[in-house]
Amino acid sequence: MSPTTIRGIFDVLSLSSVLILLVIGMAIIVGMMKVFNMCQGELVLLGAVTAFLCGKYLGNLWIGIILAPIVVGLFGLLLERTIIHRFYVNPQGALLATFAIGLIMRESLRTRMSTQSSPVDAPIQSSINIGGASLPVWRIVIMVVTLLLALAIGLILLKTNLGMKVRATLDNPDLVSVSGISTKWMYAGTYAVGSALSGFAGAMIVPLQTLYPNLGYDNLILMFIAVMIGGLGQFAGPLAGAAVIAVPGAILGQFISPVTGQILVVFLAIIFMRFRPVGIFQRGR
Amino acid sequence: MYKSLQKMERKMNKNIFKKGSTRRNTAIVASAVAMLGALTFAPAEAAPTVKVGVLTDMTGAFGIVGKSNKAVAQFTIDEINKSGGVLGRKLQMVLADSATDPAVATQVASKLVNQDKVAVVVGGVASFTRVAVRDVIAKRGKTLYIWPASYEGNECSNNVWNTGSAPNQQVDPTVKYLLSQGKKTFFLAGSDYLYPRNILARVRQVVLAGGGSIVGEEYVPLDMTDPSNLVSKVLASKADALFEVVVLPGTGPFIKGVVDGGFKGKIAGTLFDEGINPIIGKQADGLIGVQDFYLPVDDAFTKSTVAKFNKQHPEAAGLFSATFNAPAWYRSIYLWKAAVEKAKSFDTAKVNKAMDSISLKNSIGGPVSFAPGTKHLNLPMYLGKSNADGSNTIVKSLGKIAPYECAKKQ
Repeated sequence: MSPTTIRGIFDVLSLSSVLILLVIGMAIIVGMMKVFNMCQGELVLLGAVTAFLCGKYLGNLWIGIILAPIVVGLFGLLLERTIIHRFYVNPQGALLATFAIGLIMRESLRTRMSTQSSPVDAPIQSSINIGGASLPVWRIVIMVVTLLLALAIGLILLKTNLGMKVRATLDNPDLVSVSGISTKWMYAGTYAVGSALSGFAGAMIVPLQTLYPNLGYDNLILMFIAVMIGGLGQFAGPLAGAAVIAVPGAILGQFISPVTGQILVVFLAIIFMRFRPVGIFQRGR
Repeated sequence: MYKSLQKMERKMNKNIFKKGSTRRNTAIVASAVAMLGALTFAPAEAAPTVKVGVLTDMTGAFGIVGKSNKAVAQFTIDEINKSGGVLGRKLQMVLADSATDPAVATQVASKLVNQDKVAVVVGGVASFTRVAVRDVIAKRGKTLYIWPASYEGNECSNNVWNTGSAPNQQVDPTVKYLLSQGKKTFFLAGSDYLYPRNILARVRQVVLAGGGSIVGEEYVPLDMTDPSNLVSKVLASKADALFEVVVLPGTGPFIKGVVDGGFKGKIAGTLFDEGINPIIGKQADGLIGVQDFYLPVDDAFTKSTVAKFNKQHPEAAGLFSATFNAPAWYRSIYLWKAAVEKAKSFDTAKVNKAMDSISLKNSIGGPVSFAPGTKHLNLPMYLGKSNADGSNTIVKSLGKIAPYECAKKQ
């Protein structure tokens, strides 16, 4: 294989894993909880900011990557208990409320930042040479971490007692609450975990991009499309949805202009939604 | 959706401020003025101040540039006032925040012209602002408009004067340098909008005229989040040189990807200097470009003025850079002053006529003069190389370069 082909394959894997990593948190909040969380991008941003600050003031991005899910998870818990829980019965309201939260977070960062954007160095900056192509190690780390994280969350949801409670709560809260489980804290906890995962994703991907206020917002549309394609009501669908749009996007991007590629991907997504409105894995009702 | 919400927000703000507060403020100002009048002996012969409209993005994505622009404008106006003003009248800065949004820019520009009655407007950071305000100010407002930014060219409207560098002034020497270094194959990459497209069109023209060839040309969306595909295309092209106008925030990740991917060629562009390098990060090392000013420019007037600026405006120290248009802002106000003095009037038509042949001996970066008929300046240009720590080294002083614009297209 020529170095160009190797890079091409690597790009497809890398771009898909980045989008899947970004979507994991959303798969829980939007996919499973069905909260149209327009501030999901800003949860990613908050994770990126946490990592950036740790990198800048502690000189160690690893600490930031560990702290980001904790900080963003707690923030998500606070958000759910103060605002989000009021909107479970009113999805349109949730759309607006979370949009406002996102706007506030994004713009307050913009006024705080003294520059348009700040570079963040990856904790591992080396590249490895595979068949003549020089490939950045940090992207490989992201691929592995994404795979492990998706598997771990999936197993927790499917195989553990806790996972069963979460799924039961989201499926039929009334039945669960008469069974003696606090649905209030189940919801809050799930939202917090979804936030934490987004925060973690932000910390992981910020070295590939750069810290700027629209970091999360610019990714939001693709994340939403992934969830819509994957289908609501489950965890694995949105991740598959992310792969379904990232893979053709990355392949198309190698042969046609990125602008046309982006338009085509969204176009294909619309056609897919037309013929399979319930998502990849679900049967029509 | 985001844009329309922003608009709604702004409208609401406006309405809030309208309610009663204007009248109260007027009353306060009126009584304050009356008190001042009673207390001080205002010299009867003092001429009224002349207002200079300073239009820049104090907020939004270009807020950092606005911070620099405002400080440079204030610094220049203070300097002029200290040496006696213009035609015996002191200048007064009227700041307008265009908020990195063309709709806001139009509103505040209209206020500068119609309400504040400024004698001249200097400003704009991005071309979309210039396009949004130029007719409001220069055509309908019949006020002189000075556009102080290096840009994509083709601005030849009446009453509008360009004091930043034109494409040929930056692109031609950069490409010729690369060709002279034995770089024959070029890859062109930019963000998908007017500025990169026009700049790269010029690059293509000069490369082909100089015997080089273009092995790839790609544009990416402004909101591109991951440059992997573009990076792979650049690497696969094995070009000797990459000319890139991928704008922030994409610049850093793109260059990082290309460098880490083992690109062997030179990387050049129009947007590298002490202002932008730190935002790119240490991947800025070795980037090539041409600007009308870099900090190490060896010119006594430039050195002493920049030092004075940093001392007087510590809030903007370190923001005096070519890509933030600092030198262009400084000379804009002095060029206008010289034209007013030549016309012996603040009248737009007379000053507009005088501008065409104005020159400045003392200017940041070296002497400048309008190239008659072009509405652009003959500018001293410098070929620079960026360093990993964000600083710049001057590779070569290129001397004065004429603009190919308006009447003198080439």
